[in-house]
Amino acid sequence: MKIKVLAFAAFGEILGREREVELKGDASVRELLETLASIVPGFREAAFEPTGILRDYVLLMVNRKRIDPERDLSRILAEGDELAIFPPLAGG
Amino acid sequence: MIEIAEKEISLDRMIQRARRNEAGAVVSFLGTVRDDGIEGMEVEAFRDAALSELEAIRLEAMSRFSLTAAEVAHRTGSLAVGESIVAIVCSAAHREEAFSGCRYILEELKSRAPLWKKEISAEGGRWVEGHGR
Repeated sequence: MKIKVLAFAAFGEILGREREVELKGDASVRELLETLASIVPGFREAAFEPTGILRDYVLLMVNRKRIDPERDLSRILAEGDELAIFPPLAGG
Repeated sequence: MIEIAEKEISLDRMIQRARRNEAGAVVSFLGTVRDDGIEGMEVEAFRDAALSELEAIRLEAMSRFSLTAAEVAHRTGSLAVGESIVAIVCSAAHREEAFSGCRYILEELKSRAPLWKKEISAEGGRWVEGHGR
């Protein structure tokens, strides 16, 4: 299935502002992030602690709704879903 | 009205749109690029998500502070020192509500709207550390 990935600020510079990722079968948010980490240089170091847990400044949205990285990384994605990745907000 | 755009913010037009006969107060806030030894700033938005979050914040402020109108504009793209980053205009029957509404929108925007700033200096670019989650 194809998932659209949007990335902003520092994560946009690493991943590109928009890309499509092809995943096999049922895949979770964590599997999508792992796939990105395996194909995009620098993303693993930026997004994950050396222990493998997601850094606390990684914020995520699925289909424009915020998800909780502590609870929702196992959420199964569907064809056409959109994941947005960004650091803490700094507007104004 | 909510605006997120690369074009310059017109505070005058926002004030005109916020004026109401029943409003005795119009309060405006303008956030500008401060010269902290930088050459300018780049502002990035998750535009669709920011527009809907700002509209939600605007409606909250309208009802919470009995505003007669509220306008929010945020720039994106490259800005020079001194240029406006964000403008908020609130009108209300009385000044307390207009001041409170303006402050509420600003603080909520900073913590909830998906927007980011990058300071540009001779040494390169540095993303401003965000606190909004």
